[in-house]
Amino acid sequence: MQEFKSSQQLDHPQLPAVAHFLGDYAGHLLGCGVHTSRVVRNSKRIAESFNMDVTVTTLMRTMTVSVKPKNLVKDEDGKESAYTIVLDVPTGPILFAHNANLSALSWDALDQKLSLEVLRERFEKIKALPLINPWVILLLASLANMSFCKLFGGGAIAMGIVFIATAIGFRCRQLMTKWKFNHYMVFILSAFIASMLCASSFTITPADSEIVMVTSVLYLIPGVPLVNGVVDIIEGFTLVGVARLIKALLLILSLAVGLGATLMIFKNSLL
Amino acid sequence: MTILQITTEILTDAFFAALAGIGFGAISNPPRRAFVFIALLAAMGHALRFVLMHHFHYDIATASLYAGLLIGFTSVPFGYFCHCPTTVLYMPALLPMIPGKFAYNTLFSIMMFLQNMGEKAHRDMYMDEFFSNGIVTISVVFLLAVGATMPVFLLPRGVYRMTRHMKKSDIQ
Repeated sequence: MQEFKSSQQLDHPQLPAVAHFLGDYAGHLLGCGVHTSRVVRNSKRIAESFNMDVTVTTLMRTMTVSVKPKNLVKDEDGKESAYTIVLDVPTGPILFAHNANLSALSWDALDQKLSLEVLRERFEKIKALPLINPWVILLLASLANMSFCKLFGGGAIAMGIVFIATAIGFRCRQLMTKWKFNHYMVFILSAFIASMLCASSFTITPADSEIVMVTSVLYLIPGVPLVNGVVDIIEGFTLVGVARLIKALLLILSLAVGLGATLMIFKNSLL
Repeated sequence: MTILQITTEILTDAFFAALAGIGFGAISNPPRRAFVFIALLAAMGHALRFVLMHHFHYDIATASLYAGLLIGFTSVPFGYFCHCPTTVLYMPALLPMIPGKFAYNTLFSIMMFLQNMGEKAHRDMYMDEFFSNGIVTISVVFLLAVGATMPVFLLPRGVYRMTRHMKKSDIQ
């Protein structure tokens, strides 16, 4: 982390501490899949509660947070004092629960004028809240993909095949993510495993083969970066928005590579 | 078709869309209080699209826009109710409407196009399939996103204060 200070003595003792808190806060929000304008708004709300103003500049991997007091008095050289930090955006899973609870924290900061210690304590508490059990997510995601199969018109056998293939594919994804495989590799392999399982079931029962292939990889669609990208672009954060869309497209491409590999092997039975 | 059959069909569609919404929501770790609302939104949106397409003969893109709008605007009162930002509710609810079949056919036609470069008739057929499926996929995804984000632009002040005055007991 790099720090820049203006040459003059900072006349606001809390400035660095608030800047560091806002850096952690905004970085965490960005890392867990919140669209940019919300991150900026929440940070400004917290700064406001300390009678300060914050400017957040975001890119995909790094961000800059600059905090200055409101009613700024310039010194004799006409220089303003501000405290700026540049930090890496942490990468992590998408956590909607943190999005909701940390947004609520920013309102509490403004409404109740929370002190920095209380803010930091509640921030850490929210971050430490237990997440949904991975096995429950696995079950729900498999049920979801199975429902997808039904929505596309698949029968009971097709739904069963998709359920099992998704469960195995999703478990592989969870394990590969845990083992810190490359993100794109995780998508290629998970898509390949799930679609291969579906395709190999055709040798036993060729029920609704096309629908089964379609649904087998849909659990991997990166919906959150796609929608976030569109929202960011429309709200004027074009650079981050385009970057998010490119990332989403690359993930979809990886998914297509995995599925394409299966299709190459089984294309004759799918025509 | 009797009214009972039509109702059962719509309810089945809504039920499986709700299940899909919950499952795809779970991947993004939403707060537990949000699940009911995600399920309701997904069910409403998908059922509306189903009715528009099957009973009013709308095309998939227009029907998706209406479904996206319904999900977007209903997520605002739901957001106030469960103290969640609208994005947390509408994103998982949109996922069951991703046009998977068209996306798959786009990919399949690219592959078959490359495999059949030598034969003009096949090449033209797969090229045609690539464009028609690709256009549907892109328009549906874009219109879904536009429909659901519309409230943000029409009610900019209203959609940003759902988490205000949240009770501490709601944090989970």
